[in-house]
Amino acid sequence: MAEVNIQVTSSYHLRMIQEEELLYQALRIRLVEEKIIELYPTDQIQSPVHLSIGQEAVAVGVCANLSDDDWVFINYRGHAFYLAKGGPLPEFFAELMGKSGGLSKGKAGSMHLADPKHGVIGASAVVASTISHALGAALASKIRGESKRIFVANFGDGAMEQGVFFESLNFASLHKLPVLFLCEDNGLAVHTSRKDRQSFDIEKLVNAFGIPAITIEKGYDPHEIASLSKAAIDQVRDHSAPVFLRIRTVRYREHVGPGEDFAAGYRSEEAVTNWKSHDPLYEESERFTKYRKLISEEINKALDFAHASPVAKSEELLTDVI
Amino acid sequence: MSSNTYRSALVAAMREAMEQNDKTMIIGQGVADFKGLFGTTLGLSEKYPTRVIETPLSEDAIAGICIGASLNGMYPINTHIRADFGLLIFNQLINLAAKYRYMFGGLFEVPLMMRMIIGRSWGQGAQHSQSLQSLLAHIPGLVVVMPSSPQSILESYKYAINNYKGPVIMLEHRLLYELEFEEQETRLVNPLFGSIKIRVGSDVTVVATSVMVLEAKRAAEHLEDFGISVEIIDLHSISHPDHDMILTSLRKTGKLIVADTSWTSYGVAAEINRIINESDPAILKSPPISLGMAPAPCPTAKSLEDLYYPDVHDLVESICRLHFGGNPNKIPLPAKQSMTDFYKHFKGPF
Repeated sequence: MAEVNIQVTSSYHLRMIQEEELLYQALRIRLVEEKIIELYPTDQIQSPVHLSIGQEAVAVGVCANLSDDDWVFINYRGHAFYLAKGGPLPEFFAELMGKSGGLSKGKAGSMHLADPKHGVIGASAVVASTISHALGAALASKIRGESKRIFVANFGDGAMEQGVFFESLNFASLHKLPVLFLCEDNGLAVHTSRKDRQSFDIEKLVNAFGIPAITIEKGYDPHEIASLSKAAIDQVRDHSAPVFLRIRTVRYREHVGPGEDFAAGYRSEEAVTNWKSHDPLYEESERFTKYRKLISEEINKALDFAHASPVAKSEELLTDVI
Repeated sequence: MSSNTYRSALVAAMREAMEQNDKTMIIGQGVADFKGLFGTTLGLSEKYPTRVIETPLSEDAIAGICIGASLNGMYPINTHIRADFGLLIFNQLINLAAKYRYMFGGLFEVPLMMRMIIGRSWGQGAQHSQSLQSLLAHIPGLVVVMPSSPQSILESYKYAINNYKGPVIMLEHRLLYELEFEEQETRLVNPLFGSIKIRVGSDVTVVATSVMVLEAKRAAEHLEDFGISVEIIDLHSISHPDHDMILTSLRKTGKLIVADTSWTSYGVAAEINRIINESDPAILKSPPISLGMAPAPCPTAKSLEDLYYPDVHDLVESICRLHFGGNPNKIPLPAKQSMTDFYKHFKGPF
């Protein structure tokens, strides 16, 4: 965590503190992903990894406006949301390595991260399949008369082609559920571009269900995402009604795995390079040097925990089935 | 005298679930309309407007909504007026509900119930008639029950709703809805797990599911007059049947008939034979017989439908074949009468 002077109270300084904090959190996730890229060839993680690298600012910016009581329903590309929502780092590495010290005792791995204490209600590896879970949780909350609690359905642009997305827009609008439809729009479904997948204009489509649609273009900027998503989240909270928020972003690596695959030719490396030129996490500065050092220490400690944790125990094979 | 039909038990189970537990919600197509899912949810939406929820025709989303509501403290009962429509929720049921507890290492529980109604007769045809028990019971994490009587409904629904913390699929049979049953004693300690000894006998064991339990009883009563003693086990919990009960019965009779409402290959009959063969294959004195739907989609035409399903006639013939190695004593077979003609209460249209 960045050290801050809590005696500074002017709104300008408060904003500066928040900006620092957001950058620090995004950088933290970036360095975690880079560590995974470094470790992956050693086979310590024997499971597919869908890295959040490039998409860190989305999770950090949105989660800055959420409390532990606000639940997020995520997917297989869930490292950033798990960490941004407060999921512990040592248990994260243990989980990825199939160790019993993971929050899910190694049974979940990278694709099924969850941390109910911090409102991370589980990641599915089947595209779009947790969107409706957010609606159900919101419905339960509404039945009980809770207010000010929101439920975030996090998905990629590919999920918008699934039938359940349309069904969920309809139901959430019909029942006025406090759901934030949060689309991390990286423009790719595995290796297929939007133009080969979608005939619709997403904002018009969402509006047809009576749901407002907001797009944030600068998906690399955690501060901009935090402030613009706050407006969307406040709207869901205050009106107990769904809002659709799309944040454009870029997946820096291959769909699954630690590598780059520009050579395959399915997308433009130049566009990614251009996007990276705006990415604040590439900043070279004294403060970033300091942050990198602090974060590396945290990562190393977390890895020590994961390495020391025993492998998933054989007696766990048949527990928690029914 | 108060009615003791399968339907009245469902009415009571749903009413009690709503009255006694404010976490219960009933959600599905038709639960709040004027028919109320064959009357089983009638009146509840007026009494509990926020917890009885009519739905768009969006089975996939609704199943996921049930999982989300369950994760957030509710007990959802999701209804499917035909089990065939339940095929639309298999992603949520198999990829999510069945795995939520295990996949996350015990962080979550998803207590919920899926009520799916199996159609039969009055030309239900290929897509209003399927029995999905073996597809579902194949999946670790799911509990699949086929109640064959009002008592089974009252016991197992109450237990599922108030005590069990995972997903349960109740496969109800439309043909049973209007039937009057005799009062029965409480029989199961844990009504989601285990089978029920319906009838004690010494010559042949019939392991039956759902409506086939009733057909087995008709067959057994018919054959009793001719000195053949039939033991009947109602499998009840398809996912977690009572292995010992089956094996103990077969150690006595040595002769097995499995009478199921679905297809036989890779199904309940195959599973019962697996249980026996892996435990004690020598207990079978003759090759077992499997009765189920003909290996085809269900035809709509009544003349074909009557051939399609096994009934009391097939059971009597099979029991005689096992007992005598044929039918040398010329025991008369019951008149070939289709089940819907026999259970006259069902006249459609649905």
